[in-house]
Amino acid sequence: MGFLATHAKAFFLTELVKGMSVSFKYMFKPTITLNYPYEKGPLSPRFRGEHCLRRYPNGEERCIACKLCEAACPAQAITIEVEPRDDGSRRTTRYDIDMTKCIFCGFCQEACPVDAVVEGPNFEYTTETREELFYDKDKLLSNGERWEVELAARIALDAPYR
Amino acid sequence: MPKLTIDGNEIEVEAGYSVLQACEAAGIEVPRFCYHERLSISGNCRMCLVEMERAPKLIASCSMPVGDGMVIHTKTDKVVEARASVMEFLLINHPLDCPICDQGGECDLQDQAVAYGLGTSRFTEHKRSVQDKGDYGPIVKTEMTRCIHCTRCIRFTHQVTGTAELGGIGRGDHMEVSTYVGKAINSELSGNLVDLCPVGALTSKPFAFSARSWELKPTESIDVFDAVGSNIRIDTRGGEVMRILPRLNEDVNGEWIGDKTRYAMDGLKRQRLDKPYVRRDGKLVPVSWDEAFNTIADKLKGMDGKKIGAIAGDQADCESMIVLKDLMASLGSTNVDCRQDGSKVDAGVRAGYTFNSTIAGIDEADAILLIGTNLRWEAPVVNARIRERYYRGGLKVAVIGEALDLSYPYEHLGTSPGDFKKITGGKDDFSKTLKAAKKPMVIVGAGALARADGADVLGGVRKIAESRGMVKEGWNGFNVLHTAASRVGGLDLGVVPGNNGKDVQGILEGAASGDIEAVYLLGADEIDTAKLDKTFVIYQGSHGDAGAACADVVLPGTAYTEKSGTYVNTEGRVQRGLRAAFPRGEAKEDWAIIRALSDALGKSLPYSSLGDVRNRMSEVNPIFNDYDGLQAAEWSDFGGTGEPSSEALVSPIENYYMTDPISRVSQTMAECTEAFINPEQQKTGTNG
Amino acid sequence: MVELWDVYIWPAAWIVIKILAIVVPLLVAVAYLTYAERKIIAMMHRRKGPNVVGPFGLLQPFADGLKLFLKETIIPTGANRGVFIIAPCLTFTLAMVAWAVIPFGEGMVLSDINVGLLYLMAISSLGVYGILMAGWASNSIYAFLGGLREAAQMVSYELAMGFIMVCVLLMAGSMNLTDIVMAQKDMWYVLPLFPLAVIFLICILAETARHPFDLPEGEAELVTGYNVEYSSMAFALFFLGEYANMIVMSGMLTTLFLGGWLPIMDVAPLNMIPGPVWFALKTSFVLFFFLWVRATFPRYRYDQVMRLGWKVFLPVTLAAVIIISGVLVATGNAPTIG
Repeated sequence: MGFLATHAKAFFLTELVKGMSVSFKYMFKPTITLNYPYEKGPLSPRFRGEHCLRRYPNGEERCIACKLCEAACPAQAITIEVEPRDDGSRRTTRYDIDMTKCIFCGFCQEACPVDAVVEGPNFEYTTETREELFYDKDKLLSNGERWEVELAARIALDAPYR
Repeated sequence: MPKLTIDGNEIEVEAGYSVLQACEAAGIEVPRFCYHERLSISGNCRMCLVEMERAPKLIASCSMPVGDGMVIHTKTDKVVEARASVMEFLLINHPLDCPICDQGGECDLQDQAVAYGLGTSRFTEHKRSVQDKGDYGPIVKTEMTRCIHCTRCIRFTHQVTGTAELGGIGRGDHMEVSTYVGKAINSELSGNLVDLCPVGALTSKPFAFSARSWELKPTESIDVFDAVGSNIRIDTRGGEVMRILPRLNEDVNGEWIGDKTRYAMDGLKRQRLDKPYVRRDGKLVPVSWDEAFNTIADKLKGMDGKKIGAIAGDQADCESMIVLKDLMASLGSTNVDCRQDGSKVDAGVRAGYTFNSTIAGIDEADAILLIGTNLRWEAPVVNARIRERYYRGGLKVAVIGEALDLSYPYEHLGTSPGDFKKITGGKDDFSKTLKAAKKPMVIVGAGALARADGADVLGGVRKIAESRGMVKEGWNGFNVLHTAASRVGGLDLGVVPGNNGKDVQGILEGAASGDIEAVYLLGADEIDTAKLDKTFVIYQGSHGDAGAACADVVLPGTAYTEKSGTYVNTEGRVQRGLRAAFPRGEAKEDWAIIRALSDALGKSLPYSSLGDVRNRMSEVNPIFNDYDGLQAAEWSDFGGTGEPSSEALVSPIENYYMTDPISRVSQTMAECTEAFINPEQQKTGTNG
Repeated sequence: MVELWDVYIWPAAWIVIKILAIVVPLLVAVAYLTYAERKIIAMMHRRKGPNVVGPFGLLQPFADGLKLFLKETIIPTGANRGVFIIAPCLTFTLAMVAWAVIPFGEGMVLSDINVGLLYLMAISSLGVYGILMAGWASNSIYAFLGGLREAAQMVSYELAMGFIMVCVLLMAGSMNLTDIVMAQKDMWYVLPLFPLAVIFLICILAETARHPFDLPEGEAELVTGYNVEYSSMAFALFFLGEYANMIVMSGMLTTLFLGGWLPIMDVAPLNMIPGPVWFALKTSFVLFFFLWVRATFPRYRYDQVMRLGWKVFLPVTLAAVIIISGVLVATGNAPTIG
């Protein structure tokens, strides 16, 4: 481009005008965002949301306290303490997930040999205090009970790819 | 020395090595399950197969002795395939329950399946399962379905503990390892079965499910439950001691440790002193450190040093003992003693109170005379060493003292010091054996020296040693086996009565009669505390035991896991343990408490760090310069010359599982006591 | 007594009423400017913008205002209390005071003074003090840097603005804003002085520290610059002042170049619409331009800001003054004294 053309372009603010015309055109295009909380996007069965501890259909908790999730957790968000239960089986006496530490990588559910800890589809669990995000075993089990139907469906959907 | 070629490298090894050992010497790892360095070779797991040229089949390297000119290949396709196949066979009947198995993370089978296995299984039939038959006792937990029949445990009970409780039942697919008719494993070394088992068939019952190997932080330390100074590894998690494992030291404990060493650690969580107490109106009231120190200072200031006494307990570290001794000296007191059992050993002659032949020397000994000791309880590791020596053959053992089951046969010569004459007189058979032996040993137990005539017993034993030629160039067969971890260290540091000083009996009697007005107990609980009623007692220790119960001021100290301490074992070997956990509550390291107390008393001691204290120890006795080393002690005159009484010699230990403040509060030790010491005790309604 | 009422109190009250009639709608306008900003930029981004508080989110500005009102006022320990508190008040007051001379319609002006243009110039220059004070009194590095940047930027662009005003002054021959508007009856100045109008537009962006000249705030590097330590109502005052300033500047541009309250053409349906409505429409158009620019351009680098001000705008506007006065003298249209 010649000297004249370059400077004429600069002088007449051609690029600025072009840029502004683009943003002006976009003003009349329909919005592409979702009207979240009223509209929600689709979730993959592999979506990694809030953690749950599942139970077997007979009510027995799945977790066998192998501590693999604790070992796999890169954020060290999981704390487990184990003791033999009265019937001699290996069970947790404490299963805490610090949701403020968790990075939702899903390694815990990958590590779990019995599909006990899973990351469910729920991502709307804000709390008003920080302390409420320190989940204990009761909270995780109650999550599991609440989401069990969906959890089981998601695991079944993903099973062929594992 | 045969020369052989392993994977193309020529190597020369000692004759008698197995191919597996030769491979290890060449730095090549050969997987194995049944082979164990300290047990006989059984060759039944087939994992160690390697290829030998001109052999028609693969050879089991653990059981093939090396020969000159052998050519071994360990990395050929054939070997790799064989290992994978053996692994597949082993895994056929091994359950896939790693997530709930305590061995997970430190399991030989798991590791080797990853390293040498196929990764998949072609086995679709039913796996076999084995019912656990009977209870192995409070220490070993069984899950026999996991057993791969390496027979290490069977060989261990036959060869090392000599109790032979385990054996194989059935053949082929029906083989099971079991005790005979549901017997518990009654051995002081049974905890080692857990370490031996390459899979999770035998796991630790007290440790069950409590932690994973990867969570534990290991710290090297020294055991204080007996005077052997076993090398241990303390595994902690978040400042809590989770388990204790042996650490390999061929010169001391080899690879074994006793059950008390391993399992008494749950006593570290109970009945701990975690803040200072002062007795007010007959009750111990928690106070601050300053208040406790001021109470002591008020009492001791202006008191004549001769009226103050100090006793160091059995688990005291050398650092706190030397600081205590120096504090007493600064107060003008010479009434210090580290021999709370009243032992009459002579602190002047080192050869007279140490295990001169060394524990490793047992491997060379050919005749051993045990005097007044219950080795199985006083030092189970030493006893196992003798048992191992006996198992190799060519060892004769005789006993003067109680006739107990030592797990190997021996000749019982008598029960009292009066029977020493049989030896010195030279008429007895065993006397001749000793005379003829190249490396004879005499081991005298601490109990024999803690009698009123202990000095004469010691003199008597010295006479035996000298008259039977046990003390000669390059060999000293005179051995004292102590039971207290602090004993040799205390004697080396001179924590014994000085000029006109009173020993333990003197202090206690003085306290009863009023000559002694204040007593400082450094973890000393095994004394007659009834005599201290009238005295001002300062107790410094880790547990609320007998000493704390009679104390007027309690200073919370640390247990051996919570401090970095130096201990001298019965051989005179200076060893150092590192701190694994932090002191409980407001407790402090023991030497630091005494140092701080010296400030409160206006007699500040010149130590500001552990390094200073250790320099002081080296100053007092140069052996403290040489860690882990052993220096031969010079032979000299020691012991009494009188005739010992003919009272029977007895071991001071009545219950192996409960000998000190830690093990007395340990739940596991209580269970062991119930299972092994008082099995016939009638259970009453209030029992448990 | 009657005299007191007639001569002093009623006129004073009348002035207060007039002031309120300006300030109250202005504040509402500020509130809805923030709403419009969010909504328009959202549209350009193909987002929805505020839509929860009230229908179409129309009550959003009041919710924000209430939130700021209820928050705690935090005064940093290291701050100079007095100056720290005066700074936002000053900024806000100055933004309001400028409206005194801007005519909304024929005779609809609070104070129809002869030096209106000079007054506007003076008031907008004073604005920099509020920001400098805030930057200094906060005793924070970020605030201080933000204050310095703002001061430098304002000084640089005021020069160019001044010369452009001189051009308009030469054309109109009066500094009274009503006269300037009336001088545009035949032709808005935006046509003959189009390049200057564009430069003026860019200058007022810089003057109000709007995108792409918002370096004094510079979230990325200065974490909102001079108002980093402000919270609650103090922050709200800055916020109001800033947006009121935008409106003042737009009103000024409208007055100087877009013919103030005059309709586009003096024909039947258009001249039926009252002047203030035209004024509001034109000002809104300029304000829309503010937002449009914000949604389109990235931020300048600081040296570029300075280069543009000193090396481009200053010479160009200086040349414009000479050329325009030359042309006016040559055509005999130059204003005469007296």
